[in-house]
Amino acid sequence: MVEQIKKTVLKVNSISKDFMNVKAVNAISFSVEQGDIYAFLGPNGAGKTTTLRMLLDIIKPDSGSIEWNLNNKPNQVPDAEDIGYLPEERGLYLDVPILNSLVYLATIRGMEKADAKKSALDWLEKLGLADRAKEKLQVLSKGNQQKIQFVASILHKPAFAILDEPFSGLDPLNQELFIGFIKEINNQGTTILLSAHQMSLVEKIANKLFLINNGQEVYNGSLPGIYQSFGDKIIIELQLETPFSEASFQNLKDIESIDKIDDFRVKITFNLQTNLAKVLHDLAKIEGICDITSHKPDLHDIFLQLLKKK
Amino acid sequence: MRYFSQVLTVTRWEFSRFFKPKNEALGIVIMLAISIVGYFGGKYAFSDTEQKMELSVVNHSDTTLSNFLSSRYIVKEVPKDEKADFLELIRNQKEGILLESGSEGFVVNAYKNTRAISKLKADLTDYQKQRELNKIGLSQIELAAVLSPAQVQESFIYSDNSAKRVVLSYFFAGLMVMVVFLCFAYQFTAITGEKQLKITEQIVSAISPQVWMDGKIYGITLTGLSSMLTYAIMSILGGMLFFQFTGLPVSSIFDYLYLPSILIYLPFALIGILIWNAILAAIASIITDPNNSAKSSLMMLPIVFVVTSFLVIRDPDSGLALFLSWFPLTSATSMPIRWAITEVDIWQLAGSFILLVLTFYLLRKLAAKIFRVSILITGKEPSFSEVFRLSKQA
Repeated sequence: MVEQIKKTVLKVNSISKDFMNVKAVNAISFSVEQGDIYAFLGPNGAGKTTTLRMLLDIIKPDSGSIEWNLNNKPNQVPDAEDIGYLPEERGLYLDVPILNSLVYLATIRGMEKADAKKSALDWLEKLGLADRAKEKLQVLSKGNQQKIQFVASILHKPAFAILDEPFSGLDPLNQELFIGFIKEINNQGTTILLSAHQMSLVEKIANKLFLINNGQEVYNGSLPGIYQSFGDKIIIELQLETPFSEASFQNLKDIESIDKIDDFRVKITFNLQTNLAKVLHDLAKIEGICDITSHKPDLHDIFLQLLKKK
Repeated sequence: MRYFSQVLTVTRWEFSRFFKPKNEALGIVIMLAISIVGYFGGKYAFSDTEQKMELSVVNHSDTTLSNFLSSRYIVKEVPKDEKADFLELIRNQKEGILLESGSEGFVVNAYKNTRAISKLKADLTDYQKQRELNKIGLSQIELAAVLSPAQVQESFIYSDNSAKRVVLSYFFAGLMVMVVFLCFAYQFTAITGEKQLKITEQIVSAISPQVWMDGKIYGITLTGLSSMLTYAIMSILGGMLFFQFTGLPVSSIFDYLYLPSILIYLPFALIGILIWNAILAAIASIITDPNNSAKSSLMMLPIVFVVTSFLVIRDPDSGLALFLSWFPLTSATSMPIRWAITEVDIWQLAGSFILLVLTFYLLRKLAAKIFRVSILITGKEPSFSEVFRLSKQA
């Protein structure tokens, strides 16, 4: 089967940014293709938000370049109508009717007022908030306010949406709802670049990943690719009756790493080639193990593993 | 083209956020009600009663005084030996006035000082004046002639016919100050409020800081002007009512509305308001929390310059007046006042105005730059030196 060649809509070439003496972003490069759901993953303070702000020209990189090509318009800064942005620091006009706020934010991004109003009402209908369109935002619950903020960022149907920590502060039910929204707008043609630290959620929607830590690239590639490259492991998690002591595990063979999760839980990583029967035999000799589970490494495990390698 | 449409969108938004016709109408109704109550209440409270007041006078031989007082008061004679009883009566009943005349002057006894005492003192002064005039044989008409100023006919080469021009220039200076102060409140709410609500980043990802800043300046200026226009119309209507009551012709107001002067003063006032809005917006951009920021006091800056600009009245041809009428932070008020009271060449008027426009152009750019570097500084409020350093880097 011949894979369709996708158009690159964003190309980032070795951008860096320093704040005083801190290197917030250190020569990172990546590119996003049309239709991608590209996830920017890393712990708090890794440099995700700084990178996103540079993409939007809110702050300028100290070095490197950014090339956009949305709707066949190559430029360094994307046009407002082509881009949607959900900032990490969320906020909307609390004292203004919801519909007015949504229409205003869509019109400054170039949407016609009538279209913006129609689109806003459609989204409010979808969220079950149509009857509250003329109410002020401050009367809505926090969860509903977050939904409105999300809608405000994508109402104008942008070619590219940047969502900074879209799942932050959401309960599990709303996290699933947002995953649905993101998939929906992606299916309608919007390329997504999102940043997050909840790796389990990102695994459900992203097709490409950029792992970042301390401003540096840890991994850049596809989601299946990261499993192919770094997922050839077996992880066994043990629940202990007594506090973990490394000495108890000294005799285990073919171990790649032992990581203490907490005082009563430990995670042991083996290569795929390891003889599991022998491992289980050896584990049986260790006293105080009350539970054993095994699984293939998830994104979180791989991320930690890559950090160790770095 | 996109710049203009975006600025227009932001301008409209800011205007509609802050200009609330319903609230303006309510404010006007309340103001009218207070004015009506104040006017009629005051009129009633200070009105002179038609009835003659009762005045008790201790028996005396001065018939001229008795005759004089009888024309203005209901005079009752009190015998000298009953004076002490009468004073006791005043103390108990808390009313009544007892006048005693002597060689040294007059003694007035009353329970407390009231308007009636003031009136009595004025009447006694009149009486004394008349008595002294009679002594030297001078009539009232002759006295008026003595006190009248010399008749001087004035003839100048430069005749500016400026009295009404001056009134109008003060009106526009006052208008500018009032609009700037109205805008002061709106700018604070619009900018620091938006920062506190964390909306700014969302907005500047869609529009440039310059568009955002220009939209804020124009939108809030428009809001301030609309509020002022509402109050100006109300003042004119109030003035017409006043003239109606006082019997003066309504056209007296229109005498002051001299179109050529309006065409000169209005652009100066307008650009002056825009300049101050740009400065206020730049200051508000740096403020993180208006309740705890020392920089909030800087918002009072316009009043210093406007008050200074009024110094031109003392000597409109001095070097200071010339400087104030060109310096962009004072010229919006100084130049129209100077033009109203002295001879100013047209090139000076034009030059000062062009400088004013250029200053606004540069200040709005500076305000946008300050905003750009200030929005992303979170936590501690940036100092002026930090803003200056970051602005240079930006």
